[in-house]
Parts: sequence; C-alpha cells; structure tokens
Amino acid sequence: MTRPQSQTPEPPAYPGIVESTEEYRFVERLIPPASIPEPPRHQSYPTPSGWQPPKGKEQKPAGLSKDHTDPPPNLPYFIRRSRMHNIPVYTELTHGNRQMTLIRKVEGDIWALQKDVEEFLTPLIGKMPVTQVNEVTGTLRIKGYFDQQLKAWLLEKGF
Amino acid sequence: MLLIRAALGGRGPGLGLTPARRALSTLTGGDLGSQEQALTTGLPSPGAVPLLRRCELPVPVHRTPVQAWVESLRGYEDTRLGLADLHPDVFEVPPRLDILHEVAIWQKNFKRISYAKTKTRAEVRGGGRKPWKQKGSGRARHGSIRSPIWRGGGIAHGPRGPTSYYYMLPMKVRVLGLKVALTVKLMQDDLHVVDSLELPTSDPRYLSDLFRHRCWGDSVLLVDVDEEMPQNIVSAVSNLKTINLVPAVGLNVHSMLKHQTLVLTLNTVAFLEKKLLWHDNRYTALYPFHLPYSDFP
Repeated sequence: MTRPQSQTPEPPAYPGIVESTEEYRFVERLIPPASIPEPPRHQSYPTPSGWQPPKGKEQKPAGLSKDHTDPPPNLPYFIRRSRMHNIPVYTELTHGNRQMTLIRKVEGDIWALQKDVEEFLTPLIGKMPVTQVNEVTGTLRIKGYFDQQLKAWLLEKGF
Repeated sequence: MLLIRAALGGRGPGLGLTPARRALSTLTGGDLGSQEQALTTGLPSPGAVPLLRRCELPVPVHRTPVQAWVESLRGYEDTRLGLADLHPDVFEVPPRLDILHEVAIWQKNFKRISYAKTKTRAEVRGGGRKPWKQKGSGRARHGSIRSPIWRGGGIAHGPRGPTSYYYMLPMKVRVLGLKVALTVKLMQDDLHVVDSLELPTSDPRYLSDLFRHRCWGDSVLLVDVDEEMPQNIVSAVSNLKTINLVPAVGLNVHSMLKHQTLVLTLNTVAFLEKKLLWHDNRYTALYPFHLPYSDFP
C-alpha cells in the first residue's frame, strides 16, 4: 500500500507525563524489617553454626501448628532464650583479670538453679564455684569462664 | 526471700497469688496448671465462668495467662460478667520496683528546665576600679567592690542560666516500667477490666457513687483506646477531680501510681499487650521507628 504523497510524516504527538510507581519495588525490597523472625526449620541439629532450638520446638514435623509444643523441662526454674533465640549465658571481664560468667533470664526458683550449677561445676573446678544470685533481676553470676560448658549443659536440659 | 519468690510467680498460678486470684483459678475448671497455650479447645461446661477474652499473641510455653474479672459500668451490680485472659509477659512480670522508681523519676525530671540564674562578679553593675590603694590605708586589700565576699557582690558558684535536666531512658526500660506498673496494679487488686466505658447517665454522681459502692478507692484512672469515647463518660468525668479519663497512648507510670485504681477496657488491654510485647521481639533500631520499616507499623 503506497502512502499518498500529500501526507507528510507528522511528528509524534507529545505523550504527556506518565507517573509509574512500579519501580518503587526496588526500594521496598531494601527496607529492613523491624521484628525478629522465627528461625526456619532445619533438617538436622545442631546447625552448621552450632545453633540448636529449645527441646520443645525440635521434634515437631513441619506441618504441625504452634499449638502442640512439647512441655518444657520438669524443673523448678526456666531459662528463656534471648530475642535472637540463643542461650542467655554471657562472659564478662572487669579490672583486666576478673572473669565472670553470667546466666540471665532465669524465671522460677533461682536457688535450685544455683544448686544444680554448683553440682555441675564442682567436678570441673575441683572446688565449690563462687556464685552470686540476684533474685530481683533473675541472674546468676559465676566466677570464672564457663560459658561453653554451661551452654551445653543447658541445651541438654532442654532450655 | 519467700516474699520475692512469691512475687516472682513460680511455674503455675498456684504460687504467689492473693486469695482473690487463687479463687479465680479454681473457678475456670482448674486446668491452668497444664502447659498448653491459652487457646483452649472445646466449649466450657455450663457451670464454669465464661472466658470473655483470650490472649491474641502467643503465650510462652512455660507460662499461663493471668486472669481478671470483666466488669461493667452500666449497673451497680454488673461485676463478674466473665473472665479475661491477660498475657503474663505484660501483667505478670517480676516486680522491679527499682525500674518503677527510675521511670517515675525520669518522668518527673526530664521535662524540668530550671530558670534560676544569678550574676557573677563580672555581671554585677560596677566594680571595675580598685576601691582603695593596696597598702597604707589600714583596711583589708580589695580589688573590686563586687567580689563575692562583698555585700551586694556577685555570687561565686550560683545557678548559671537555664539548665535542662533532660535525659532519655532506653526505650526498653520505659516499656518494662509500664509492664511492671500494670503487674503491680493487678497483683494488688487495683486493676479492673471493664467491657466498655458506656454509662446509663452522664451524671458525675452516678460514677462516684458506683466507685464508692464497689470500693475502688479515692482516685480512678479510666483508660480507653481511641480518643473518641462515649459522650456520657466524657461529660461525667470532666466535672470530677479525682476520676480521670485518658486514651491508651497517654498511659504512664506516674499516673498509674498517682491514681489508686486503674480501669482498662478490653480493647485497651489488647492494644497495650500488642504494643508492649512488640518490644520483646524487635531488632535494635537502625533508624528511628517513625521512619518506615518493611513490617512496621
């Protein structure tokens, strides 16, 4: 089909401004979340970084809802996980040479926990461990660095 | 030590309770010792008290919700309409009186600006010339008539200019202060949960007579969620001095301690639980929370 010669090519009509918010998704995916997610379910525990969930959450199959958690260990105290789902045992060093281990977030009978910690640590040191119990804040402070042993011991107990 | 053990709340609701709360736990069938979550399945038996509110947010495995009676302001005898479950991480935290003190003192002092100012010897008018020569006059040696030891002289170490006593406690400390205050109010039987703040009349005398009849104390703090509250209660409370009405965002430790009784609606309880429990599971702020995050608000 031949174009009639009287028709000159006209410049294209000005399309106007088109606002598109489609590209904002590249910004939205960079905005960080504010709340800490639940850790995903792994095939085997401990994970390559050494993390292990509390006993109640380990043996659940993937499809089961949150209502059916295992009961917590049958002890007079309970040690909650930190907000990053870790065991709340920390080391402290003051005056350059004062080494302490701190167990935080203890609920229930702290003195029973102190007795159990004493029984656990006495064969490791050879003498009675020096401990300080703070009932108001729910913390137990032990002289010396025992964080790895205490973390493993608490994991065994199921906290 | 026994007192602290009682207050810390052991594994079940049987420990560390006032007689009123122990009676509550036996009324709902006594199954609160089980480690299931607050969401019970199945209908309650006809003889049991109805559970009007369950916790929406998940309760930790080793704790059970604490319960309170739901009452109503519509009639004099509208007490004990049902039970409401309250989240233990908001209404049953360890009683940290030191944190209550910290937050109350912070609330009092962070707004303070003291405007006291005195003039130093440099600012007092005059006093540039040596009053008499150093030696020979028989009097003590002085350099200016406005030094601090002179009458009418400047003040040596006085208050200097407006001083601000502003400081901020960490957000989590302030949140924990609110939780501890709510816990203390509940445990001392000064917290009442109401289904809503609707009144039959807008007479202030009805409200004060109702509170006197129910022995709710001299001063009552009523808390609702939004700023729009039923007109009856707004007009009734506006004429009363010791009964005050605040929205839930205006709840603070000083007001809770100043008023003898605290009255929350069911919606307020849900709002407070949601807001206060969010802080237990959040990352530390990369930038202020009033800027957008992907899942907040």
